[in-house]
Amino acid sequence: MVGLLAEVGRGTARWLAQVGGLARFGFEAIASLTSLPGAGRRVATRVLLNQLRFTALEAVGLIILLSGILSYLTISTTITQLDRVGASELIGKLMVVAIVRELGPLLTAIAIVGRSGTAITAELATNTVLGEVRALEAMGIDPYHYLVLPRLFGSVVSVSTLMVLFDVVAIIGGFLAAAFIAGMSAPRYLGIVLANLTTQDVVLTGIKGLLFGLVIGIIPSYEGLSVRRGPTEIPQAVIRGTVNSLALIFVLAAVIVGALRG
Amino acid sequence: MTHPLVFAEVPLGRVRRTTLGGTPPLETEVEGPFSLQVAAHQTVAVVGDESSGVDTLAGLALGLERPPAGQVFTLGTEIAKLGRVAQLAFRRKVGYLPAGDGLMQNLTLRDNVRLPLRFGSNFRPKDIEGRVDVIMAQLRLTRASYLRPAQTNAEDRRRAALARALAFDPELVVMEEPFDGLTDRTAGELLEAARGGETAEGGRRTVLVTAASLPALLLSRVDRRLRLVRGRLEEER
Repeated sequence: MVGLLAEVGRGTARWLAQVGGLARFGFEAIASLTSLPGAGRRVATRVLLNQLRFTALEAVGLIILLSGILSYLTISTTITQLDRVGASELIGKLMVVAIVRELGPLLTAIAIVGRSGTAITAELATNTVLGEVRALEAMGIDPYHYLVLPRLFGSVVSVSTLMVLFDVVAIIGGFLAAAFIAGMSAPRYLGIVLANLTTQDVVLTGIKGLLFGLVIGIIPSYEGLSVRRGPTEIPQAVIRGTVNSLALIFVLAAVIVGALRG
Repeated sequence: MTHPLVFAEVPLGRVRRTTLGGTPPLETEVEGPFSLQVAAHQTVAVVGDESSGVDTLAGLALGLERPPAGQVFTLGTEIAKLGRVAQLAFRRKVGYLPAGDGLMQNLTLRDNVRLPLRFGSNFRPKDIEGRVDVIMAQLRLTRASYLRPAQTNAEDRRRAALARALAFDPELVVMEEPFDGLTDRTAGELLEAARGGETAEGGRRTVLVTAASLPALLLSRVDRRLRLVRGRLEEER
């Protein structure tokens, strides 16, 4: 019994140390913005633009595919049932509540974790194992400035932008389904959707973009830079970075829903 | 300044190595305390095997590792006592050639040399390009300038890493395992480049070399050769 309690205690202490380390890392990364030298800002901006190309621009096709298929399937499978009971107006609510408010941000974040979060962890872990991070520090370059901040801001901007893209494509995909299957006109469809779309939904998308972007920028960077022993640690770091990012994104989504209901 | 680099009573066995992430500090198993004074314009080589703690000296000199006791003075400053931002700025005064070169793999050799100048100085782009041209030519890297580290050979990578270390024309250069896998002739060239030419007092720069062993050709080219055995220094000549 004592052994079991000790094991639980050790596990809890490890978990708390991990959470504490992550919080410290996130805070230090954001705080390092104040010490970014003018010359370093120009270099970091170039790294940021590169990150945006990889995280946002190259993910556009994937987001359009996911969003288009999801909205088309959702609307095409529900509109005939709703039409039968004379409640086709409800597709507006379905579109806004289910897709724009919840699934859009969540699926966008999942896609970016899978695509860019994994790449960030693997890249930074490789930088660490090859001694590049140590060499940067030795040259007087803060790894937070050169490696972490561009990825952090790149993730926030990319996730926020791609969420908006997801929502726009979802609305178009929903219209195509409503038009082909139920013969709904564009003005009517848009009227139904826009009637259900509130300012709160737009603000919420912005908040989720910021929070999910921060998660995707911080956790994979933290896990990548935690590697020390060698290349065999890299896949483990990628797994930890991906799983922890996804878990926190789902928890945050649930907390936001809970907060709005409360 | 009499001694650009001073290690005073540092117990190498308890050097703390930290990472930016959450990995707990690693502690080495070597005993100390270790003391060494590297005089200005001298080239000092400290050799020792893996268990001797020789691989921690460069990190201590640059403040990358924190000594739990004793003191390390680099160019007269106790770098461990500086704040993080001040430490980073201070390190630009010291050239560091890490073991395994530490070049950024996604940058060309030229961009690697340019990086510290672009990030840590307010020089005009034209002046930076001029400085990089000179260093690249000096280390015979012009033909490999636009190749990435993975596209070049070990010799060019080591030359590029040294070129990057010399970008700010530092007064003190710390080299970790600098001649591993190189021919004696190339090793001699790199050591000469690190010394930066000769003055009446010795080399223009002060150089500390830490390695498992030195190529035979270089034994006569260093001013002091020391062997580190479990934290204790033995003068080799």
